[in-house]
Amino acid sequence: MQTIIEELEGRFKATPLAVSVPGKIPKAVYLKIDEKSVSEIMLLLEGKDVILAGLFAAENFTGEKFALFYIFEKRGDPVLMALVVGIDEAKAASVAAHFPGACYYEREIADGFGIEFTRAFDKRRLFLHEVYPEGFHPLLKSFKNKPMDIDFSKPVKEYAFRECSGEGIYQVPVGPVHAGVIEPGHFRFSVIGETIFNLEIRHFYTHRGLEKLAEGKTPLECCSVAESVSGDESAANATAFAMAVEDICGIKAPLRAWCIRTILLELERVYSHLGDLAGMALDVAFPLGAAAFFNLREETLRQNAALTGSRFSKGIVVPGGLKKDIAQSKLGGLQAYTNDFVARLESAVAVINASGWVIDRFETTGVIDKALVAPLNLSGPAARASGVKVDTRLDHPYGLYEKLRVEEYPRDGGDVLARFSVKADEIKNSIRLIQDVLDQTGGGPVSAECKAVDGHAMSLVEAARGQNLHWVWLKNGRVERYKVRTASFCNWPVIEHAVLGNIVADFPVINKSLNLSYAGNDL
Amino acid sequence: MISEVIKNVFGKKKTSAVKPQESDFQKLGLQLKRDIDTVFGRSLAVRELDSGSDNAAEIEINNLAAPYYDVERFGVTFVASPRHADVILITGAVTLNMAAAVRKTFDAMPQPGLVVAVGDDACDGGILQGTYAVLGGADRILHVDAKIPGNPPSPEEIMLGLVTLMAQIKKKKSTG
Repeated sequence: MQTIIEELEGRFKATPLAVSVPGKIPKAVYLKIDEKSVSEIMLLLEGKDVILAGLFAAENFTGEKFALFYIFEKRGDPVLMALVVGIDEAKAASVAAHFPGACYYEREIADGFGIEFTRAFDKRRLFLHEVYPEGFHPLLKSFKNKPMDIDFSKPVKEYAFRECSGEGIYQVPVGPVHAGVIEPGHFRFSVIGETIFNLEIRHFYTHRGLEKLAEGKTPLECCSVAESVSGDESAANATAFAMAVEDICGIKAPLRAWCIRTILLELERVYSHLGDLAGMALDVAFPLGAAAFFNLREETLRQNAALTGSRFSKGIVVPGGLKKDIAQSKLGGLQAYTNDFVARLESAVAVINASGWVIDRFETTGVIDKALVAPLNLSGPAARASGVKVDTRLDHPYGLYEKLRVEEYPRDGGDVLARFSVKADEIKNSIRLIQDVLDQTGGGPVSAECKAVDGHAMSLVEAARGQNLHWVWLKNGRVERYKVRTASFCNWPVIEHAVLGNIVADFPVINKSLNLSYAGNDL
Repeated sequence: MISEVIKNVFGKKKTSAVKPQESDFQKLGLQLKRDIDTVFGRSLAVRELDSGSDNAAEIEINNLAAPYYDVERFGVTFVASPRHADVILITGAVTLNMAAAVRKTFDAMPQPGLVVAVGDDACDGGILQGTYAVLGGADRILHVDAKIPGNPPSPEEIMLGLVTLMAQIKKKKSTG
């Protein structure tokens, strides 16, 4: 990454912004580049094997009206590069031709700020559905957050799906309200016989305006917003938000706080993965096999409740450390609980592995091609099951992860079975990590004073579903802009590829094997 | 793996021990069952509807059906369509993007349909009150019969909410 940065500085007069403080986690270098050189730089970067890890906008950040942030990551390199482009007019060139993942981001920015992306492949709205009036852009500072006055009796125009037509092709619309107890989203299948010929997803039904809601709040108030990004990623998102704020304020959370945070982060991964394993068994009609995973998950949620008072570890992680300490006796209780956990998990996994008909449903189902991982910036178990070693805990270690032994279990299959196995292995590793951390958790304070100062910072965290990126900009002690990019946001589009050629009846198990968050995607 | 299969086919079948259910939850469940027996003729069909939650409430509702709680033994079934439902459990504040779908889901229910708001956001909008993207709590768009606060409420609290709902209906039946 360093050579790329030097090349940009030399050839394009990219100027580093003053915020590139050494020692920050993740190490991010911000480069201001000229609007005119964007296309040329993107063309150059396309050949440099880098990944577009994020793209977002902020208002009045640089001297210009808008600033666009292009975040680049290179696998195996801890340094992130943030290219900052200032634009005065609400118009920018699309980079989706160079980085396909940009398509979704650009639609998001177009909705939020009204910035038009020229030469974009797809200019349809994203999180603002048809019910919102034309010309409404909630993230503009000129819009003061208030409830909308909308007449629901008026019919709205339909969203234009890219449906396939032809002899024998028919459409299966699914959602937003699903048959199961899950979140809302729409799936438009074009099907030949039973085989899926095309799928287009349409989400953002749970768009709650969290980024706008965060603005004007103090960092402490904003924690509940971070937690509600996705309920089952509460600890991960609260930690990422807290890390960014701590970074801005130039403080570090005490060691004991990081020990407890790490335990909560890994417990979150454990219960999330357990739910997926159970769900996958259930979706191929094997409730008996699912039962053991469900039981372990319920126990894990109870461990959360015993430690934090919340089954989803809400309301404990705050900037500076933790809101309250956890008694050593409770941590001892967790230690005792984990003793036979791995053995119980292994016997539950063995039941699945010994059921040939389950394996038959899992194997070769919903294959994610390894070649899609980099262009779409896939992360988490979905990427690791397609043979790509990517884990934020290893690539951009934060907190205790610099010292912990995080194991990777990549599989090459890319199918449901590979994702099942990767998740099962990761649970075992998480339990080992929890035991390691419990062994080294000493006494001491759990919070450091965190006085809000002006500034901005980026943080990365490995949630159960993959890498979440947070960017926080504080001004006058309050949040000026808060951007969250969850792993779900990047991973969702890949399901359109994974289901092709599969039968509709296998869609639930493919979806469950990825288990992406609708709320975390919709914000 | 092959050895696992052989063990499974020819070996002695093993069953793992299941911990007994907590008695408090059992008591609550049996009370609910008695109420359902009298009010709904032995079964209560529940449809879950997410109108914009952060998914924690869904997980807890799912847990009710999982083996630890297994509310089906008390006569509560989760149905796949609002057309089969007596009660809608609505979670999350109602987002503008979901409002039309929420209305349609309720209209598809056989009437009189009951609505229970699950979680702080569904009760009154919670922390999302006043943002552009939500209408507010579920009562902004539907008649809500009972509210179960919590972020999210635990499975026990949701059960308690259903028991309260049954008591309400019984009272209405006896007075009306």
